[in-house]
Amino acid sequence: MTNHYIDLKNSDVILIMGSNAAENHPIAFKWIMRAKDAGARVIHVDPRYTRTSARCDYHVPIRSGTDIAFLGGMINYIIEGNKFFRDYVVNYTNASFLVNPDFSFKDGLFSGYDAKKRTYNKDTWTFQKDENGVPLKDPTLKHPQCVFQLLKRHYSRYTLDKVSSITGVSKENLLKVYEEYSATGAPDKAGTECYALGWTHHTSGSQNIRTMAIIQLLLGNMGIAGGGINALRGEPNVQGSTDHCILYGNLPGYLKMPNASLAKLEEYLKKNTPTSNDPQSANYYQNYPNFFVSWLKSLYGDAATPENGFGYSWLPKLDDGKHYSQLHLFDRMYEGGIKGLFAHGTDPAVSSPNTNKTRKALEKLDWLVCANIFDNETASFWFGPGVDPKQIKTEVFLLPAAATMEKEGSQSNSGRWVQWKYKAATPPGDAISCGDIQIRMMDAIKALYAKEGGPNAESILNLKWDYKDRQGNMDVLKVAKQINGHWEADVEVVDAGEKKLFKKGGLVPTFGMLRSDGSTSCGNWIMSGSFGADGENKMARRGKDDPTGLGLYPNWSFAWPVNRRIIYNRASCDIYGRPYNPKRKLLEWTGEKWVGDVPDGPWPPMADKEKGKYPFIMKSDGVASLFGPAMAEGPFPEHYEPLEGPLAKNPLSSQLINPTIEIFSSDLDQVANASEKFPYVCTTYSCTEHWCSGALTRWQAWLLEMQPELYVEIGEELARELEIANGSKVKVSSARGEAKCIAMVTKRFRPFTIEGRTVHQVGLPFNYGWLYPEDGSDSTNFLTPSVGDANTFCPEYKAFMVNVTRI
Amino acid sequence: MSDTVRDMVRVTDPIERISHWLLAGSCLFCLFTGLGFMFRTWGFIPSLLGGLYALKWMHIFSGVVFGFALVHAYTMWRKDCAFEPDDAQWIKQGGGYLWKTSSLPPVYKYNAGQKLFFWFVVVFGVLIVLTGLVMWNPLAFPVAVARWSYALHALSALVIGSFFVVHLYLGTIGNPGTFQAMTTGWCSRAWCETHCPRWLADHYKKPE
Amino acid sequence: MKKTEYIKLIDTTRCTACRGCQVACKQWNEMPASRTRNFGSYQNPPDLQWNTWTLIRFQEYADKNGDFKWLFRKDGCMHCTEAACIKVCPSGALYHTDYGTVALNRSACIGCKACVSACPFDIPRYNQATDKIYKCDLCYTRLHEGQKPACVLSCPTGAITIGEKKAMIEAAYNRVDKLDGKATVYGDKFVGGTHVMYILSENPAAYDKLPSNPKVPASVILWKNLFKPFTLIGMGAVAGMAALHYLIKGPHEVHEKKEGGEHDV
Repeated sequence: MTNHYIDLKNSDVILIMGSNAAENHPIAFKWIMRAKDAGARVIHVDPRYTRTSARCDYHVPIRSGTDIAFLGGMINYIIEGNKFFRDYVVNYTNASFLVNPDFSFKDGLFSGYDAKKRTYNKDTWTFQKDENGVPLKDPTLKHPQCVFQLLKRHYSRYTLDKVSSITGVSKENLLKVYEEYSATGAPDKAGTECYALGWTHHTSGSQNIRTMAIIQLLLGNMGIAGGGINALRGEPNVQGSTDHCILYGNLPGYLKMPNASLAKLEEYLKKNTPTSNDPQSANYYQNYPNFFVSWLKSLYGDAATPENGFGYSWLPKLDDGKHYSQLHLFDRMYEGGIKGLFAHGTDPAVSSPNTNKTRKALEKLDWLVCANIFDNETASFWFGPGVDPKQIKTEVFLLPAAATMEKEGSQSNSGRWVQWKYKAATPPGDAISCGDIQIRMMDAIKALYAKEGGPNAESILNLKWDYKDRQGNMDVLKVAKQINGHWEADVEVVDAGEKKLFKKGGLVPTFGMLRSDGSTSCGNWIMSGSFGADGENKMARRGKDDPTGLGLYPNWSFAWPVNRRIIYNRASCDIYGRPYNPKRKLLEWTGEKWVGDVPDGPWPPMADKEKGKYPFIMKSDGVASLFGPAMAEGPFPEHYEPLEGPLAKNPLSSQLINPTIEIFSSDLDQVANASEKFPYVCTTYSCTEHWCSGALTRWQAWLLEMQPELYVEIGEELARELEIANGSKVKVSSARGEAKCIAMVTKRFRPFTIEGRTVHQVGLPFNYGWLYPEDGSDSTNFLTPSVGDANTFCPEYKAFMVNVTRI
Repeated sequence: MSDTVRDMVRVTDPIERISHWLLAGSCLFCLFTGLGFMFRTWGFIPSLLGGLYALKWMHIFSGVVFGFALVHAYTMWRKDCAFEPDDAQWIKQGGGYLWKTSSLPPVYKYNAGQKLFFWFVVVFGVLIVLTGLVMWNPLAFPVAVARWSYALHALSALVIGSFFVVHLYLGTIGNPGTFQAMTTGWCSRAWCETHCPRWLADHYKKPE
Repeated sequence: MKKTEYIKLIDTTRCTACRGCQVACKQWNEMPASRTRNFGSYQNPPDLQWNTWTLIRFQEYADKNGDFKWLFRKDGCMHCTEAACIKVCPSGALYHTDYGTVALNRSACIGCKACVSACPFDIPRYNQATDKIYKCDLCYTRLHEGQKPACVLSCPTGAITIGEKKAMIEAAYNRVDKLDGKATVYGDKFVGGTHVMYILSENPAAYDKLPSNPKVPASVILWKNLFKPFTLIGMGAVAGMAALHYLIKGPHEVHEKKEGGEHDV
């Protein structure tokens, strides 16, 4: 979230798209209801009428996987109708930047495409620069090569007719949403977007979100109270685990995982430290070496020295051009290329796409170590349906783990609040926390390496590993303090004109003081400041004062970065630092300092040509990107059909599917696009009553009572056509597998008209597995394809093709 | 054994008396326990019998006994209690109980009042048993049936209870010499001549 | 103790059917789950049960204009002022509390089931195994300790609130004023006013299993207001008349000799 949950109440228009907020974020939904009470319009765009739709002003059905077309049409509407917030767009985005004349877009492809590798050479996706290396701009936005004009041209193809034909949304509905939402382009209006897995679970997941980012920038909705793009993230501490690098390409705090070709620290830092020649750009990431070296120091402690590159060479590296996502992992496992797997707090035998492939892959393992609070389908795969235990060579361990309420620690919500929680109960039996499991395991590994040696032994032996209390259990406070960071030497710092001496071993007050010379260590730079230098655990704060009246609650827990509640907040003011919307005054420049939320840096607003800085300090150019060359698919999002869809041709170009997604080609990766055998669009989702794979909630009798078994929601029209009765048993099948379930015939799925043809959509929850309940059902993911987003490899769970038959 | 001894006439056989007392006893017990349900202030009734829950089952059990006794009594007495034309005359004159009358038609075994009582007991007895069965498991019936069962059960209790009092009076102190018809089974010839002259004439000649 | 009447207000226009209340109710009242099957609806268990005192009803509804609505209604005891269940309860197990709510002293319940059919809202449920009746008591013990009922506490959107009677009725009407035309307040106009009220987004008739004009059933009124007193009056009157008869006319003596037609029966 750029903003936070409570801030949803400040919105004038809330667009819920790619999310079933009421069902999957029921607590957060109360802030949406508060906004509604205050007169906000709440719009739900979703393939299915859900419990969220029931509480919105209206629901607009859309075919799964066509969000970019829908939003592209909105961009076109905003630009053509002159609904954008010009002042904001000119000053705070790269709309005025002139793009490399060699950059082009033709028939669905940007310049630089390599069809063999399915990737782009991004050399032409750059800006024209002046003699000082500062990007050339045209503040009138009229230059034909400026970003704004390119954007306008790109989305002029997304006409109402075209968009309606692709998405299945009626033109009236399109106009209704476009009109209401684009009205937030006024300076005193705020529009926000709530998304969740409905946007990320796509081959175009990242670009779905980026398209919305472009809209929010055009309307001046970024960095303001009641605005932003808000990922509603899950209870499984998704935010916290992402912040602490659950994704293979990241290190803590979104630092980059090094590649094998970057053998030396200097090379790595040069590659990852952006530069800017614009004196008004803060380019905050120029501090990258401070963050990274401090992280190395937290990892290797005293063993990390300037001489050995702070242990950079001990880090494992990614092979260039290779990916290590869960999709790749199971693909390699299926090929027999992986020997062992730790599956802690996860149930891939249910939750990973293409279950047939996933479960077969598990059979190729030598060993599997699971840690969970209950047994699940992964730990028990060796006696699952159709598996002969005698044929399984995998040795499986199931370690009993403590549940979340049985351990102390921090948990982060979507609003980046890192909240401390205390242990409520002692785990039963032999169960211990996953942290303790890691510590005991690593202790044993270190001991083995010390005794026997082995490849890359330094990497293990030099590891700083002092996170235990006197009883030998994990000391979460020690971990939290190391995440915040320590001084590794006595250092004198000049802070706001005052000299301050910091003693070795003390806590670092903020990431602004991290250094690249080895005098600081920090486990995760964005969390720096979460533990006060005076020893105050800021994550445990529970202050309820609200000085701005906007619900920022600055003394409640700690929000990264530096307790900033709404990021990019300097963009809520004009270039002189006056709030665009005086009624929701998030921040204001008094002439000397910023008052309100914690600002994005102390510098004056950008009208001050000497000391002033642009508001988007994390971007190297200091402004937000309408033109975003970092994306794999291209700087402007483009609609492509899902890997499996009802159409044989993309109505917008000759590129049917996302040209940059990786196609897996094992014998179990079958695909059936526009096939008569699988004529119905299918999507999957969670329900309020269950949680993720259901591995925890299916054992809970009260929850199981409410949602006892797998069901497929089918529109009345399709059910009539297929003569399927409500509550009867049916089989849903795809090119990869099948799922037997109960048919829930409903008015909440309606057929779409796509390219002049009637297309039906159905949907299933993904919360069931064979282990329990016994007469329930098995995984929905037998149906889903192993394919993912080109940037993140987040799997496509939301759009694929199936057939439904009676049994 | 002869049916007449000296001046006495045997008016009932043991089966009749057992049946009568089963019916009367279960009815009385049902009334008593029923009143225990109906009037929450009459706590002495349940406390006498081991609490309301026990009372519920006693009421149900004695209701079942009542049901069977009723069926038996019905088959046994329905012929004797069939109405005949003279009964109208009897009723018109209030059976002679209320004012002086001279032209009361001679009664066979049971007079019209007794017959009326019998049929009221049969009709409301059947009703009270059937509604009682519904009340035993009201969930098995449509809600309207269940609801009206409670009301009709109470109505039947009201009717049977009131008649019961009349019956009790007329069967004891109201008609001296009657009570033994249901104890020993023997009544005086004179009693029979008064209460069931035609039946007496049919069955027993005047002793020589 | 001074009587403070409480009203629990259920605002269906705020309900997201998350069913937190359904679970919280079971948790607080320690009611077990049943093994259910999906019968083609989110609603589950399919109906109120002895172990399910509150249930979110899911209803797919298209109004006259064909506008589709998914209606959610939290079903459960309405806590009537003129409570048919209390009227028919022989044991006093069902009773009005100081809060005006209808509580159930289960140890006194004899499982007669009279309340089941008497209830105009079809709320009480019977458990064969314990031979007792079960239903919501609006968390009487929690109210007693100054706590909100479990369902109220669990509701994330504020769809369920509780408060003093007058204020809640006022709040209900204020809310309906802000909502569009079809919204109505339900609960204050019948059975002496219920202590659970709804704000309905549609006409009450649109909702499954919700009576538009609930009443204490006529059968119950006949039974309790007429037949019950008349049972005593009837039996007493008859006994009195018999006594009078005995005093005035005396017993009907048997004549030793039959003389003429004179027959003093």
